[in-house]
Amino acid sequence: MLTFLRRRILSSAVPLLVVVLGVFFLARLTGDPANLYLPLSATQEMREAFSAQHGFDDPLLVQFGDYLAQLARLDFGESLRTAQPAAEAVLRAFPATLQLAGITLLLAAAGAVVVGSLAAYRPNSPADRIAGFLSSTAASTPDFWFAIMGVLIFAVTLDWLPTSGTVGAAAWVLPVATLLIRPFGVLVQVVRGAMVTALSEPYIKVARSKGAGERRVIFKHALRNAGAPTLTVAGDLAVGLINGAVVVETIFGWPGIGKLMIDSILQRDFAVLQAAVLLTALTIFALNLLIDICYVLIDPRVRQGALA
Amino acid sequence: MKSPLRPPVAIGPPGRRATVLAVAWAVLLTGGCTVANSGSAAGADTVQIVLPEEPPTLEPCDASLTATGRVVRSNITEPLAERVPETGELEPKLATGWKQTSPTTWKFTLRKGVTFHDGTAFTAKDAAFSIDRTLDSGIECNVDGYVFGDSEITATAVDATTVRVTSQEPDPILPLRLSFVEMVPTSTKADSRVREPVGTGPYRIDKWNQGINLRLARYDGYWGKAPDYRAALYTWRAEGSVRAAMISSGEADVAVGLAPADGAGDHAVEYPNNETSYLRIDADKPPLDDIRVRKAINYAIDKKGLVASVFAGLGRPAGQLVPDGVTGYNPDIKAWPYDMKRAKSLIAEARADGVPVETEITIIGRNGIYPKAAEAMEVVQKGLRDAGLRVEVKMLDVNAWTEYLLRPFPKDAGPTLLQAQHGNQAGDAAFTMEQIYGSKGAQSSYGTPGLDQRIQRAERAAGSERQTRFAEALAHQSEKVVRDAVLAHMKGIIALAPDVTYKPDSASGDEMHLAEIHPAG
Repeated sequence: MLTFLRRRILSSAVPLLVVVLGVFFLARLTGDPANLYLPLSATQEMREAFSAQHGFDDPLLVQFGDYLAQLARLDFGESLRTAQPAAEAVLRAFPATLQLAGITLLLAAAGAVVVGSLAAYRPNSPADRIAGFLSSTAASTPDFWFAIMGVLIFAVTLDWLPTSGTVGAAAWVLPVATLLIRPFGVLVQVVRGAMVTALSEPYIKVARSKGAGERRVIFKHALRNAGAPTLTVAGDLAVGLINGAVVVETIFGWPGIGKLMIDSILQRDFAVLQAAVLLTALTIFALNLLIDICYVLIDPRVRQGALA
Repeated sequence: MKSPLRPPVAIGPPGRRATVLAVAWAVLLTGGCTVANSGSAAGADTVQIVLPEEPPTLEPCDASLTATGRVVRSNITEPLAERVPETGELEPKLATGWKQTSPTTWKFTLRKGVTFHDGTAFTAKDAAFSIDRTLDSGIECNVDGYVFGDSEITATAVDATTVRVTSQEPDPILPLRLSFVEMVPTSTKADSRVREPVGTGPYRIDKWNQGINLRLARYDGYWGKAPDYRAALYTWRAEGSVRAAMISSGEADVAVGLAPADGAGDHAVEYPNNETSYLRIDADKPPLDDIRVRKAINYAIDKKGLVASVFAGLGRPAGQLVPDGVTGYNPDIKAWPYDMKRAKSLIAEARADGVPVETEITIIGRNGIYPKAAEAMEVVQKGLRDAGLRVEVKMLDVNAWTEYLLRPFPKDAGPTLLQAQHGNQAGDAAFTMEQIYGSKGAQSSYGTPGLDQRIQRAERAAGSERQTRFAEALAHQSEKVVRDAVLAHMKGIIALAPDVTYKPDSASGDEMHLAEIHPAG
């Protein structure tokens, strides 16, 4: 197992390095932040002083060297916009995104397992057709449209929920629902597909012939085997959610990492952008590792390969 | 190969799995509560304002940044004097009066009995310190770059209530410039920025939940009339339709920075927001170096149609960059009439004289500079094509666009028209002319010695002579230079809940005085 982990960690180091390099250099190709941060009427001397103070007048490689040296000391630099440590801004935003992503994924996965299994139990039955129709509608609904409609219907017209914000439990309903709808739709289809396959396997017949109850057949035998493809897709969806639910964060005023990243790109706030991308990349790396471990746990074929 | 008969692998005993799940849920939910409980419920004595963005800082020396200024100015901190948007006159704030004692010296008499939120008295030492801190401390104050440029200014406390301010060159509008300097106590850090300042204003900072909301509380020791609301709660939503919806659903009393499409309906209040939209004509390159082509561009744009359709009526066609109320505004300059026949004949005339009018001209646009920015440029493009020019539109994001806005300009750009918007929040044409029309102005791609001379003469003048000279410089630009195609004096929209009254003015976009918001009825 340790060898497996070590191998996975080493193979992830390269993409991580590429991300760090890419973000650093690509961000700096997009123009001089002095133009954005100084008033239009600022003098040339002021612009030069600004560049010198933030090190933007050094050659790019020198700037990159300084950045790596800072990183080694766990110093992520200072936000140009707020003059606060970049790490502070990122660590404030990330939990908000993680909470939203976590709850969304749990609800989507739990709902998808139930609906997908029911649909797969009797393929082409009315229940299956309804589930298929609803899940494809859900999977193809644009989230910004759903969010704005949600605000208009449930906040403005019916006055059941707040429009936006993070204050109070009711404020979670619309953001989670918006974020949930696509992963739920996709996962229902994946679970259904995997369950239909699993339920037609010989071992299900064997289980039934040995007198196992239907609940046991579905949840114990079939679902476990349908777990691997579901896990793969859910992992992919989780990566998308952790990357920041930009639309949801923007519309609902959710102070998360997606909005922070987009803002720091638009405002050329390099330190915040770099810190946010690094933290997100590390989290996605950890998540992928977790998914791999889950594979090992649920699928003995993978386990044998991993332990070999 | 997996045997189908092999029993499924268990991750752990069912009990332990349930515990893990329960813990995961508990972590997420308690974490959720940390976010959820960090706001505070607002009562009837709290005015709730929803902004398009969180203030990056509340540092008073950055108060010329819109996002900072509209929260800080005259709410948390105050200047010595304040400009009245309707008249353009300065009115006393923390200074009761000021006098020019020599061409380079002004004396300000300070108000007595003013205290900062920390209880200390406001004295001339604080005033001199605030001016020094804004101009000379090396902390890159936005106000310094915006208002003072390279002018050298010294402030000295003469006695407890008198400050002497000296400029190296005679400066007839020094008090106006100083109206951008917010007063802070000498205990404020001089060598670094502060995020949460102490001021003398009617409200003090109560609690800033970063990312979520900002609460101000009424300052009981305020020297002036106490404002109506005991507290103000600022929140921010980037999406305009959500800000408008917050008024409809009763979650906010005032929503700032809306567009016509945001759907504020009956709650919407329109106001002239001090901004003027225009196209900068980069007149140093053919065919734009020919004044007939520049005039044709002005004739070929249907400004009335543009305002009525694309801007949804939010604006009025304009002929100059400064609106009424700004020193230098010239009431005789009218918007260029829409006259396609004239435009076509001017282009034909230029073509006959060998001007390469078939050269492709690029409109450099900026997404989001005002609502429907791209559509507006398509309307302009259509007009110019009809007149006989070859025009393409390139829409950029703000940073790429500033490369074209500010010197040094891209060298290989070809002939360009730049979509721009100018807001003169200081109220004097000096803050427009030099940088936009001067031959060496930071935003100017073309100027003439005649216009430069007129601008410089106006900048040295004071009082009614200053008004006349700037008005004359603007007329000269409009008739003889034609360096741009001014489109419209723009209007903004805010939305108000039925339970508040507030009358927005041209300064509301930059400073929104909480004391001017009242409960309705």
